Amino acid sequence: MKSSALVPEVAQQVAGIAQAVPAPALELRGISKAYGKVVASDNVDLTINPGEIHGLLGENGAGKSTLMKILLGLEKPDSGIIRRQGADVRIANPQDARKHGIDMVHQHFSLIGPMAVWENVILGDTGAVNRSAACEQVENVAMRYGLPIDPLARVDALSAGERQRVELIKCLRREPEFLVLDEPTSVLTQEESEELFDVLRRMVQSENRAVILISHKLAEITAATDSITVLRKGRVVFHQLTSKTTHQELARQMVGRDVSLLADAAAVGVLPVAGTSDADAEPRRDFSGLPPALGLRELTVVQDGATLLDRFSLDVAPGEIVGLYGVEGNGQSVLGDVLSGLVMPTSGSVAVGGDVVALERADALTRAGIGIVPEDRHRSGVILALSVAENLAMKSLGSVSGKFLLSHRAMRENAQRLMAEYSITAPSPDAPVGRLSGGNQQRLVLARELSNEPRVLVVAQPTQGLDIGAIEDMYGRIRAVASQGIGVLLISTELEEIMTLASRVAVISSGILSGVLAAEDVTAERLGMMVGGAS
Amino acid sequence: MDASKNLAEHGSADPNRRRELLAGLKPSRSTALITLVTAASVLLALALSLGLIAWTGGSAWESVKALYTGSMASKAAWSSTLLYVAPLLLVAIGSCVSMRGGVFNIGQEGQVLIGALAGSWVALRLALPGMSLMIATLVAATVAGALWAGLSSLMYRLRGVNIVVSTLLMTFIAIQVVGFAVSKDWWLQASRIGDSVVESQSNQLPADAQVGSFGEYPNIQINGGLIIAVLLAIGIAVLVSRSRWGLQLKMMGLSPIAAKHAGVKTGRLSAVALGISGATAGLAGAILVTSPVSTNRLQPGVSNGIGWDGLLIVLVARFNPLVAIPVALLFGVLRAGGGFLASTGVPSSLVDVMKALLVLAFVVPPAVVQLAQQRRKRVKTPRTKTPVIKNPTPEGAVA
Repeated sequence: MKSSALVPEVAQQVAGIAQAVPAPALELRGISKAYGKVVASDNVDLTINPGEIHGLLGENGAGKSTLMKILLGLEKPDSGIIRRQGADVRIANPQDARKHGIDMVHQHFSLIGPMAVWENVILGDTGAVNRSAACEQVENVAMRYGLPIDPLARVDALSAGERQRVELIKCLRREPEFLVLDEPTSVLTQEESEELFDVLRRMVQSENRAVILISHKLAEITAATDSITVLRKGRVVFHQLTSKTTHQELARQMVGRDVSLLADAAAVGVLPVAGTSDADAEPRRDFSGLPPALGLRELTVVQDGATLLDRFSLDVAPGEIVGLYGVEGNGQSVLGDVLSGLVMPTSGSVAVGGDVVALERADALTRAGIGIVPEDRHRSGVILALSVAENLAMKSLGSVSGKFLLSHRAMRENAQRLMAEYSITAPSPDAPVGRLSGGNQQRLVLARELSNEPRVLVVAQPTQGLDIGAIEDMYGRIRAVASQGIGVLLISTELEEIMTLASRVAVISSGILSGVLAAEDVTAERLGMMVGGAS
Repeated sequence: MDASKNLAEHGSADPNRRRELLAGLKPSRSTALITLVTAASVLLALALSLGLIAWTGGSAWESVKALYTGSMASKAAWSSTLLYVAPLLLVAIGSCVSMRGGVFNIGQEGQVLIGALAGSWVALRLALPGMSLMIATLVAATVAGALWAGLSSLMYRLRGVNIVVSTLLMTFIAIQVVGFAVSKDWWLQASRIGDSVVESQSNQLPADAQVGSFGEYPNIQINGGLIIAVLLAIGIAVLVSRSRWGLQLKMMGLSPIAAKHAGVKTGRLSAVALGISGATAGLAGAILVTSPVSTNRLQPGVSNGIGWDGLLIVLVARFNPLVAIPVALLFGVLRAGGGFLASTGVPSSLVDVMKALLVLAFVVPPAVVQLAQQRRKRVKTPRTKTPVIKNPTPEGAVA
């Protein structure tokens, strides 16, 4: 499938722009890359001109990072070519990329905290270390681009914005022709972001370099770029000069046109999800009039000076599935950690059934009735070396033990009961969980959480790493849970998942709740705008 | 199992697998293989040791005989072996607790010394009647060992000082403290008789404070300390493998985050685990000064490496308190026999080398087997590193 063949207007626009500027500095032609069955890049064409800031917009899994990894030589494309000033180039590793003047500032900083700025900047250089020369160089680059920094300061004493400056200086020192910035503002304040874009603008205009800016924030991408390419599911779906497009159009292109179809289907409950027949046969009980199963009030989490969650408030009614949608790294993980008892919020409260939970107690959340299927089950969901029985009893040791001694029989019985009920396939209750498949591990976590009779179930990325069969099974079970009157908060970066399950969709962007929509009101444009943090 | 499941399991198992390797608690399909490799490496260690003795001019056969004579040949030899076993086992079982919880205490030597110091002070300076003096001595040593280890917990809590580093460094402080105590007459130095030069050691502990033995020379002699140690070993075995607390401890050792998530108070639990380790080490210190294994005086070198050896025993016993009993016996044999061997002219440092080789022979095989298996797996499944599993789009479910 050729995207250009499918969307002729796009192909024309691309061609038109290519003609307007005679010598494109960097061209990607027909880049494809598949991981197993999943196509991460599908015949992508991209043209970067000198003197422009080129925005790359797209959701999680749209293929932005894959494309940049190919450009940087971190991944090898299955097919396609890269041209620089008309000549084919081969980029096998980041060193090659650097030789061709391509450099990147990654989303997650790669700085060494206890070392000074100048040391971080020259890291990876060969030859003798010359402190004063390095400092001078840092100062020169800093002066030239307006990135004030003290070369002698220790990196761990710097703010997120200053660290970003160090990363930039690290790159700019090598005088790259093409600079890729991956979600550069995710940890920056508004002012810091604006300063950053000023610097980029100056660099591009006065030195005729090119910048590729990866972002999902509509406001900054329209404010900072000259032209924009939108990726969806590995394909280029849209390309336009920034001046000729609008937030609305970009939002629609980013999320896709099929979203409303999904919403319609969800509203009338005809989405094909296997294994839900029992749940659907049961008439939906009415839970209105009860206090919300889960009430989050003004939750704020500040870590290392970065505000990860900003006055986040959300209610989940009993029996309701609320989907929390957003691009990865916008505060979902930390919300999951708060609800797992791993992170104490800086301020704000969590209430279950109207009663505020005393979060400082280690097992308060479980006692209050919050069950959680965590995002990374190997980190906090299960202990791989422990047995199935032990993992299942982990959160309710009181029910399988006396005051002091464990009853191994009670543990095994508990395990056998839950294994049958949740169809967990394991060699025996004593087998270590590490030997179970991903789907079985996930069902085990779900079984344990539900066995504690929660009033709220938080499921974060419940189908990550599962195969289709396990995914359908998980969907059926989540629906069944809600039909029992348990409030479900579904945290996911998969729009399909949210639209399949949730009756309300909340969107999180940069740690802020940017809005809540009923599933039937969801349109690509509204969702895209909220995901992009634009109102 | 289909491919994607397989990948999902590999992808994220790594950090936990590393912990397993450390903890060695995982019941493994490769147990037989490990046993085989262990047996082979023990033989190799013995061969190397004997070779070393021969190379340094001793006679391998004579040395083995000396080792045997000193530790097992007679009832008296057995008695002296068992006297060493008691403190070794005490140090080991406490360390089982801390290691299982993922708290790597390596300062047992210092905790033993501080226990010996506190016990000696109580025995020499408190005038308690009869048995109560002995009990007070043992209790004081236990508490002192726990508190000494508690200082490391405190440093971790307040300033995030690494436990491994602080427990180790506290050992060196403990050595200085004991040395100071026995060289100051206002503290614990022996009393001056006439004009004689006073050595840096304490007076002999009063008979009331000493732990009695069952059996007399030439029969086998079983000291009360050994009975305490074995009973405690059984108690701790029940605690770690059968109790609710033990499971929480194991959870914390394998995955602190998951444990915390499951409602375990990890901060408190690790402090308690370290405290228990310090307590048994302190008790071992008291046994050293109150049982006939030494001169019943507090001396700067009274710990004599018992703490280090106890740590080695835990490693060999893979954190199992019951397995620690035979291993402690083996180390007791090496100590008693080593002393005798030294008297035949073979340098006693060779016994230490031998001990180290044995420890390596026991500790290395499981790690090697696991690494080899991992490598084989990696060769089998070609490396497809995968954003695939991260977000498989549920197209099928949505279509």
